[in-house]
Amino acid sequence: MNTSYIRHIIGQVLKMEATLMLLPCLTALIYKEPEGFAFFITLVVCGLIGFVATYKKPAETTIYLKEGCAATALCWIFLSIFGAIPFVLTGEISHFVDALFETVSGFTTTGASILTDVEKLSHCSLLWRSFTHWIGGMGVLVFLLAIIPLSGASNFNLMKAESPGPSVGKLVPKLKHTARLLYMIYIFMTFVEFVLLLCGKMPVFDALSTSFGTAGTGGFGIKADSLAGYSPFIQWVVTIFMILFGVNFNAYYFIFMRQIKKAVSMEEVKCYFIIIAAAIAIIFFNTFSLFSGIEETLRHSSFQVASIITTTGFSTTDFNLWPETSRFILVLLMFIGACAGSTGGGIKVSRIVLMLKTVKKELYTFMHPKSILKIKIDGKPVEHEVVRSVNVYFISFVIIFCLSLFFLSFEGKDLITCFTAVAATINNIGPGLEEVGPCGNFAGFNPFSKIILILDMLAGRLELFPLLILFHPKAWKELLVTQKSKRHLTKAGKR
Amino acid sequence: MRTIIPHENRGLNIIIAGCGKVGITLIDQLSKEGHYITVIDKNPTKLQTLSNNYDVMTVCGNGASYSVQREAGIESADLIIAVTDSDELNLLCCTVASRSGKCSAIARVRTPDYSIEANYLKNRLGLARIINPELEAANEVTRILSLPTALDVTPFAHGQVEMVKIKIPENSFLDNMEIQNISKNISTDFLISAVERNGEVFIPSGSFILKSGDIMSVVAARRDILSTIKKMNFKSTPIKNTLIIGGGKVAYYLAKQLLNIGFDVKIIEQDRERCEELSILLPKAIIINGDGTDEDLLKEEGIHNCDSFVPLTGIDEENIMLTLYASKVSNAKAVTKINRINFTNVIAGLDLGSVVYPRFLTSEAIIAYVRAMKNSMNSGIETLSHLFNQRVEAIEFKIKEAPAVTNIPLIDLKLKNNLLICVINRNGRVFIPSGQDCFMDGDSVVLVTTHRGFNDINDILK
Repeated sequence: MNTSYIRHIIGQVLKMEATLMLLPCLTALIYKEPEGFAFFITLVVCGLIGFVATYKKPAETTIYLKEGCAATALCWIFLSIFGAIPFVLTGEISHFVDALFETVSGFTTTGASILTDVEKLSHCSLLWRSFTHWIGGMGVLVFLLAIIPLSGASNFNLMKAESPGPSVGKLVPKLKHTARLLYMIYIFMTFVEFVLLLCGKMPVFDALSTSFGTAGTGGFGIKADSLAGYSPFIQWVVTIFMILFGVNFNAYYFIFMRQIKKAVSMEEVKCYFIIIAAAIAIIFFNTFSLFSGIEETLRHSSFQVASIITTTGFSTTDFNLWPETSRFILVLLMFIGACAGSTGGGIKVSRIVLMLKTVKKELYTFMHPKSILKIKIDGKPVEHEVVRSVNVYFISFVIIFCLSLFFLSFEGKDLITCFTAVAATINNIGPGLEEVGPCGNFAGFNPFSKIILILDMLAGRLELFPLLILFHPKAWKELLVTQKSKRHLTKAGKR
Repeated sequence: MRTIIPHENRGLNIIIAGCGKVGITLIDQLSKEGHYITVIDKNPTKLQTLSNNYDVMTVCGNGASYSVQREAGIESADLIIAVTDSDELNLLCCTVASRSGKCSAIARVRTPDYSIEANYLKNRLGLARIINPELEAANEVTRILSLPTALDVTPFAHGQVEMVKIKIPENSFLDNMEIQNISKNISTDFLISAVERNGEVFIPSGSFILKSGDIMSVVAARRDILSTIKKMNFKSTPIKNTLIIGGGKVAYYLAKQLLNIGFDVKIIEQDRERCEELSILLPKAIIINGDGTDEDLLKEEGIHNCDSFVPLTGIDEENIMLTLYASKVSNAKAVTKINRINFTNVIAGLDLGSVVYPRFLTSEAIIAYVRAMKNSMNSGIETLSHLFNQRVEAIEFKIKEAPAVTNIPLIDLKLKNNLLICVINRNGRVFIPSGQDCFMDGDSVVLVTTHRGFNDINDILK
């Protein structure tokens, strides 16, 4: 494996994290909070390590998929470890595993918290928590690709490892410009939401944190009751933007290019909206008796549906108290997740569509055993490879899910809590049901269970395989051993 | 999309249809030069590997279809290059593209039926260029065979200037000689522009000392080349006959050219029907029906006595083996055609002598066109050639309105390192410039450099 290039990428990511930590430092300055020093110290350490790691340029810049995956997974792990340090230094979260849980939950846009009282946190820590959502939402390496001229044409492997969805395409020929374009759309939409929230008379700090949380489909609230305390207007704005950020960003690119027809005809996006509408309708009728009036019922049901399907995890009401049908619908939505190529998590609508189509095709071949039928999406035949990888993804997902649930069961908590805790972390949502419901939190788990959940969050965000490759013994062997023989080879090649 | 891409040294939007051998060479080189490339191909697996290795966008489909071209962004494309397997598809692809967009189009057309009408097709269909790798390869082989001492011959200034690669043999009087002494002792009509020694390439100064075993590339006016080589005491017996193995398109073009300049040509081809075709097309050539890799047949057909030997089978390994065999049993000048470029390091170590890579010839022609296109307003590139495994570029510029370099004695220009101005062609008069000469408007200039990506004559300045 090309270890020196992986080291270089990790170094760049750390340098970038150091730069991003300027934002909480600035917040601390504005609010005159002493917690800012913790961020500043971490910033300096992180930056220094980054500079040391990137000091020597890698000789070989070609990387293959395995390096792309390993680099991505390692970057996320390093990013989370350094991101967790300030929480420990300020003493706001005393245990390191707790701090790591909180940070991973931030970067993976999960939004699951171990804090029992969020409002005790300083402004700079609160903003950093929300800001990690924003960075993690579109992807750290995508951001890196957009701003740093990394040499080597094979960086597509990095983007492939980080971007959600069964198949990754480019919008424009150059990777750098694709990454920039994505971030431009992302920044623009975040800004629009920010302005709209300000119009709804939300305080600037709250509006900024909430915009970050929505954009990354994260879900860290800065209030104990999440968004329940804000005005209906604000709740509607957040609902709409949550849904918008769950749409495949290719659709926005088409709209931007004035190819509206193409954007509207995207099958995945259509299905996504149909699922949302259906879920809202069912929950609306199911919970009608709980609220007063049509507007309130509609607002709460659509907010919760949007929050769960896009894997954001904000809440305006305690949906744990809802009737069983509504609770079931919400759990189902957790697994479906948002569109591929959005900032959301979950299994992704496109995978679900593809799997349903495979089932339909299989049924059809029972009727006509000799028939030939190709699965199509957007009118284009889907490669067998893609179908296969979606099936493998689903099976791996189930296996990881069961294993995590098994480990969590030792806690002795009830099954719904454990089940939804795993579901909420692996799908990057945040709140589950019962003990981990919107009014509860993850503080009750022991450190071992927390580590399992941390791994679940990372696996869910990176779409399983980039993280799984780190558990392959051969990968470690290659990471550590092959350097010597490779050097030998390049020398021979030069001669 | 175009508006938000920053204009810092903006590349061209290029669509390449077909990712075969030439396609991939083009993608490799053009993406290195910073152009925005979209590739169209029918084979999704190929595209998958391609997008892993290069920073390009891929579209799966038929390159000649308008909707596929639109998906690849034909409206904003500057250039479309069609290099699929099929000539007809390439022509159709370019025709559709040049009708729908405002882009230039280059098509690869290699069937002899069309290549005779290349100019007519080009004008009628509105193409910028038609390229024929087989014909280019045949031209190259012909040039090498007419100057047998040379490993490689590259023409500049419409053939008036030639750049010749020569290996200095053991015990040559050039061994241990400073370059400035050579010009004193022999003549001043030539210039040593680059020297390769042990895999390293130098752009030599006057104090550079040559060694035997070096491969040097010499630039001179065409009329002086032969006499120069003679004066350097290289043996140069002219070639009278040639033995070609394989009767494909290159063989046909080559045989036709060689027969025209009075060679005796013998072609060994395995396929009986093709032999009959060839005998109709090339009545003056001797066509032998048999297996060209059969040692007995080669002996029977006199490989020991032939002056030159050109293996042109479709399989690189066979060609290499045949050349190695030929150099063992005879003194024939061998030219090897290699289609794929894998393992170039190994091939370079084999001492094959002259090697012709058709795909490089094609991609060089296209890249020269692309670079000139990028800089259409100022001084343009006329010819571009990669030497020594692409480590040196030889470029011919046409100078038009470039006040930064014209009418200043060359000695006063602040030129980049590793750059040598070889020849100036002024109104058809070719000469090697001294420090006192200046560039003038309308000159064309040949220079060699180890820098990459020169687009403009002003790039030579520091």
